[in-house]
Amino acid sequence: MSAEVFSVFYQFADVFAFLILSAAGLAIVFGMMGVINMAHGEFIMCGAYVTVGLVNLGVPLAIAQILAAVTAGLIGVLVEFLVVRRFYKRPLDSLLATWGLSLIVTQSMLLIVGSAVRGIGTPEGSFAIGGYTFSTYRLVLFGCAVAVLAGLYIIFMKTRFGVIARATMQNAAMAKALGARTGRIYAISFGIGTGLAGLCGALYAPTMTLIPTMGATFVVESFVTVVIGGANVLLGTAPAAVFLAMIRMALNASYGQIIGQIGMLVAVILIIRVLPEGLSSVLVRRGR
Amino acid sequence: MALVEVKGVSKRFGGLTAVSGVDLTVNAGEVHCLIGPNGAGKSTLFKLIVGLYPPTEGSILFDSVDITKERPYARVQRGMSIKMQAPSVFKELPVRQNIQTALQERLSGAERIAEENRLLTLLNLAPDSDKLAGALSHGQQQWLEIGMALALKPHLLLLDEPTAGMSPEETYKTGELIKSFNAEGMTVLVVEHDMAFVRQVAQRVTVLHLGKIFARGDLESILQDEKVAEIYLGKTHAH
Amino acid sequence: MFKLLEGPQTLGRGRMFWSCFLVGLGAALTYPLFADSYDVGNFAYFLIWIFMALGLCLMWGYGGMLSFGQTLFFGIAGYGYGVLAINMGGGSATIAALVLSVVLAMIAAGILGYFMIWGGINGIFFGIVTLSATLVLAFFLGQTAGPEWHIGPARLNGFNGMKGMDPLTVGDFYIEGSALYYVMVALIVIVYLALRMLVNSGIGNVIVATRENPQRAEMLGYDVRKYQLLTFVIGSGLAGLSGALYTSWGQFITPSSIGLPAAAMPIVWVAFSGRSDLTATLVGSFLLLFGFQTITVYSQQAALVLMGALLLATVMLAPQGFVLGIGKLVADWSRGRRRGDGDVIAEAGRLQSEES
Repeated sequence: MSAEVFSVFYQFADVFAFLILSAAGLAIVFGMMGVINMAHGEFIMCGAYVTVGLVNLGVPLAIAQILAAVTAGLIGVLVEFLVVRRFYKRPLDSLLATWGLSLIVTQSMLLIVGSAVRGIGTPEGSFAIGGYTFSTYRLVLFGCAVAVLAGLYIIFMKTRFGVIARATMQNAAMAKALGARTGRIYAISFGIGTGLAGLCGALYAPTMTLIPTMGATFVVESFVTVVIGGANVLLGTAPAAVFLAMIRMALNASYGQIIGQIGMLVAVILIIRVLPEGLSSVLVRRGR
Repeated sequence: MALVEVKGVSKRFGGLTAVSGVDLTVNAGEVHCLIGPNGAGKSTLFKLIVGLYPPTEGSILFDSVDITKERPYARVQRGMSIKMQAPSVFKELPVRQNIQTALQERLSGAERIAEENRLLTLLNLAPDSDKLAGALSHGQQQWLEIGMALALKPHLLLLDEPTAGMSPEETYKTGELIKSFNAEGMTVLVVEHDMAFVRQVAQRVTVLHLGKIFARGDLESILQDEKVAEIYLGKTHAH
Repeated sequence: MFKLLEGPQTLGRGRMFWSCFLVGLGAALTYPLFADSYDVGNFAYFLIWIFMALGLCLMWGYGGMLSFGQTLFFGIAGYGYGVLAINMGGGSATIAALVLSVVLAMIAAGILGYFMIWGGINGIFFGIVTLSATLVLAFFLGQTAGPEWHIGPARLNGFNGMKGMDPLTVGDFYIEGSALYYVMVALIVIVYLALRMLVNSGIGNVIVATRENPQRAEMLGYDVRKYQLLTFVIGSGLAGLSGALYTSWGQFITPSSIGLPAAAMPIVWVAFSGRSDLTATLVGSFLLLFGFQTITVYSQQAALVLMGALLLATVMLAPQGFVLGIGKLVADWSRGRRRGDGDVIAEAGRLQSEES
């Protein structure tokens, strides 16, 4: 493989991983319950802070990251139980309630922790191909994104929970009538969603400055990926991420990050005009 | 004179063909009933005529103009209006405001208020005119929706099961109302299951079965058609 | 035409309501005679935001379009005013800068709204697409610290914000302090009354009908997309008016008045107040702004935590809004005394059905 081709792949993989990792959790919650979790960024922030806290206590990075994801997942289950559960019939109100939570959490963190937390630095390690140097950790992130997709495929397609969850997604009332405990399914799905948000924060914690408002860095990418991808994580979010990553990569390379982001937003706005039901409507020709 | 011409219209939803190669002509000035068993494609055909669905193939003409590609509001502006199968009113708005929203493009000022009052009285809704539409009974909501459809003073009135949820007296009254509007020149296309009602109002009848035209003709010939009785009237004949 | 000031779409009506309105207006007009100029300036600052709240109330409460993009248009007009005022050289040209910057925000709203509304975006996605656009603008402006980012002599200046524009000026007279306060009061009265007339007019009927049942509205012959776009452009334009006035008031604007958490503020004001009524929004937003400013002096974070808590409490306890709920109770109480309890029960039923 020539170095140029690998370099293009590397840049694509970098953006793709960012989109998948930041959007997967949001997409699951939206796909299952039709709810957009506005506190998604705060769960990402939670994952990052727990990771850094544990690493500073001497826990190895990989274990700290897993523990951080689990913590965010458990907090998510609690939040579902206390707040989100009441709003499944009022999706707009769930948006407002979680936005309220998001404000409370970020601003309390600013009050308690303050803005400066010592980071842990990106794990060293790089490799060179034909004169270009690449960070190994960026490739690890890409591997994690692919692993998340594979994991979701296994959970939702191959397990008993997945069958019931998909049934609930299709028709909650019917699933309930057939004996599925939809309340528990929703709680677990919400937990998986926030756990993935936590994982995202945990994975990116070594690469960025930790501030309580860091969630905002991720939300635009996660929002637009879900807007384009629609309700189906595997058939919507993943292709949407591929598509957006290509646009983003091309623009980033020539014009820099911010133009890349603006270009991505413009692409999304153009697409919703042409394909109102999102990218997945083209991929999954639903019979309706 | 044909007011509506449906030419070779089909509608497929994924693998399901709801309407298949339907030709239907509704003449100006008639009351035309569309009957057929559940799932025959009647409501789908209505939605194709008003433009809520684009047809998979075929074309639809209104007043000799091809409207196949027009959006619903443009078709309404040409002079058709519909009462849908499930009551579709503005539930959080007062009854009078529902009617007013339908009337305001056509009339204003004292004329509009007079027409509002006339329609509300005609539909037995005058005592409830300040109530929210959502607080009305199912039957009253049907009345209200018919009133909104009438308020547009359409050339073509499409009624999808107008008497569902109504008592026999109310059904009869609805029939008389439709006949009186027809007498003033309004063309009416009705989907209805209640055969007594069909007998009361229909001048011509089209039978739809499995998405296709099964039979058509005047009321008597349809009622005497044994094949029609087999697929549809068999059960309802007795009562 | 003035009978449109009252109608089914606005709650306050009757002699009692308009007497209260006049008393409130009178108090607002005489306030500068009793207060010192610093307080008057602060008061004018609260009033700046009212336009944005009324605009959101129109879009969300009446039109059923929950836009999270109020600060996007606030920012476009706010920066627009700065760029125009600096480039056109101050003086009376600032009035033109104000008008043009609001027009600019409305054009931007027209373009974004066209793509969303014609693309069939509604409900949740309307919120997150508008918020995404808002955050992208905030990030972009945050990146413009370098000297290469300028429009004419106007430097965008990244997170440090744009400064150096003149305040609103007529001839040689800067509209500041009490004068600015009176301009604000006048504008609020005009906007408030104009919106009342809009929502009680035929157009208002179609706007609320579209919120209730867009398909039925279309089946009455209305191209609902045009009405939605009109609502969105007016509502966003009002956010633009707030933005331009804000820049003029402080001669300063930064990206932080666009991004998070600023974008959440109009949502909190309108949700807390009661989105379905203009008067409730006017009163409630003012109270919240006043409270927020009082706490911000001690700790901005604490004030924002409180705002988040209020939003959460509103959707959990009073989804129709607290101010509106209290207003309805007062109205029921005064009407109940005159007409007996039947109406109260009817009204309670109405409140209940509105909550579902």
